[in-house]
Amino acid sequence: MWWLIFKQEFVEMWAGGRVLNYLALYGVLMSITAYLLATNNQLNLLPLKQTVVVAVTSTITFGLFIGLVMGAESISGERERATLEPLLLTPSGHRQIVVGKFLAAMSPWPAAMIVSVPYVATLSQGDRVLWLALFWGAVMGTLSAIAFVGFGMLVSIWSDSSRTSLFVCLLVYAGLLIPAQLPTEFLNSRSGVLVSAIDPVQSSSRLLTKVLAEGRSLGEVWIYLVAPAVVTALIMGLLFAYSAPRLRLAATEE
Amino acid sequence: MNQVPDSRSNGQAEILSAQDLRKTYGNRVALKGLTFSLKAGRVLGFLGPNGAGKTTSIRILTTILRPSSGHFVVDGVSSEHPVAIRRRIGVLPEGLGFPKQMTGTGYLTYFAQLYGRPAAEARQIASRLLEDVGLQNRADSAIGSYSHGMRQRLGIARALVNDPAVVFLDEPTLGLDPRGQRELLSLVQGIARGRNKGVVLCSHLLSEIEGICDDVVIMNAGEVVAKGSVAEVTGQSHANLDHLVRIRVPATSIAMTRELLEGLPGVEHAVLTDERAGWLGVKLAGSLDGSGPDGHHVRNTLLDALIRADVPILGFDIGGGRLQDVFLQLTAESIQ
Repeated sequence: MWWLIFKQEFVEMWAGGRVLNYLALYGVLMSITAYLLATNNQLNLLPLKQTVVVAVTSTITFGLFIGLVMGAESISGERERATLEPLLLTPSGHRQIVVGKFLAAMSPWPAAMIVSVPYVATLSQGDRVLWLALFWGAVMGTLSAIAFVGFGMLVSIWSDSSRTSLFVCLLVYAGLLIPAQLPTEFLNSRSGVLVSAIDPVQSSSRLLTKVLAEGRSLGEVWIYLVAPAVVTALIMGLLFAYSAPRLRLAATEE
Repeated sequence: MNQVPDSRSNGQAEILSAQDLRKTYGNRVALKGLTFSLKAGRVLGFLGPNGAGKTTSIRILTTILRPSSGHFVVDGVSSEHPVAIRRRIGVLPEGLGFPKQMTGTGYLTYFAQLYGRPAAEARQIASRLLEDVGLQNRADSAIGSYSHGMRQRLGIARALVNDPAVVFLDEPTLGLDPRGQRELLSLVQGIARGRNKGVVLCSHLLSEIEGICDDVVIMNAGEVVAKGSVAEVTGQSHANLDHLVRIRVPATSIAMTRELLEGLPGVEHAVLTDERAGWLGVKLAGSLDGSGPDGHHVRNTLLDALIRADVPILGFDIGGGRLQDVFLQLTAESIQ
């Protein structure tokens, strides 16, 4: 059943143009980012590897946004369009419905990664860091995408309107980006390290910086994997073990 | 595949039964003990004003909501097995939405597959159902291009995709023009009689429902106020009705007719019950109830007086024979 639901959702999202619109916007943002990074690099304002780190981080940040929006609309959008009830009336288990929609909402992330490859490749200027960047970008990005899509769906299951679920999701998303705006002195302080360790977005960013720009090994930076992994596991548990079986026609119904 | 229980071996088998279903939301009681049964091949009408509990009842019986207490059985399957029940029912919810980009064929094929049919068989089922509901010429058109009536018919087709034992239709004629209503109700009747299914129909269209329902449950404020066959319900309430004769005259003749009637022996009073349509309700005096030899005489006297006064008689009805009268009588407290 989940496969049927995934296929149907996938076709609706891609053929309907929703994902393509977001990917087009994503392409524009990556183009602007890449241009600015390339300019900075040429002016020797930013080292090459740091340029690549920023490009990969931007890929993840923009790509997560698409997944978050897809997840946030997945259930509450069906409620608004009055198309959820027929699904709930089939013998499909509610968990299967959520699995199918989750996988469909994840589908833009690989596409976003693929779109980012030429940008990262160009900015790396043939340096070996490209392959490391693509690998770690895929790992951290996929881990984060799972968490963000899952979070979006979690909020969507418990929201009666897409407006509410989108608002909550975007608020949380913005909140997670705030640490990146804090001064470097703070980020290097003990408090800043703690914030980086528990904020999955900041944590991913720090790991990428240390591995790609500073050449650290995994053994030295594993601590920055903890937050993304724990948050992802927590969200997956809440989504599939707790919320999915409680999927209802109205979010506030018994 | 589903086992067909022995109780379905004949057209009179009980296909749906509910026992004391209740639903509360905190301190608010939405449903106060719903008990009824439905046999295969019959249409049961769920009638009641807004907020009576009809949709709550339907949602409980279709496993969308859990009852606070009570239980029900669909085609031999207890309410403790909601997934098994969903395999045996088809539902057209009120205000159902459709994916605009999908075609009618694609939509029905998708749902047939969700009910476990292989893709090829699902497509055949879709094709057949679209023909049954008269959409074969628009099978490959996007649902977004369908009219409201076409979407309702598609919804009914989807409700039949798993060959259910019981079909629930919640306000299926809402928003349809009179022709569309008639066609759809004819389709509903065909589902019950032609396919030997139980049909539960929620509607406000009393006059049309009266024509196709075999049984009726009238609800008000979460309670069942009357139930049984249409004949039983209208007959039981016959003696309680105030207006036992109804006469319809043109708007310009209402005042004169009323004065004329109230001056006749045997008539207690005449009141306007439907100003728009021009219906007057006439209560007969004393023990006369409009039936039997005395009642005949009074009715003939009424008609004679009107004819002699040259009043155009547009309609004449012996009160107590209409479901609408019963419905209004029993739910009068909630209609202000």
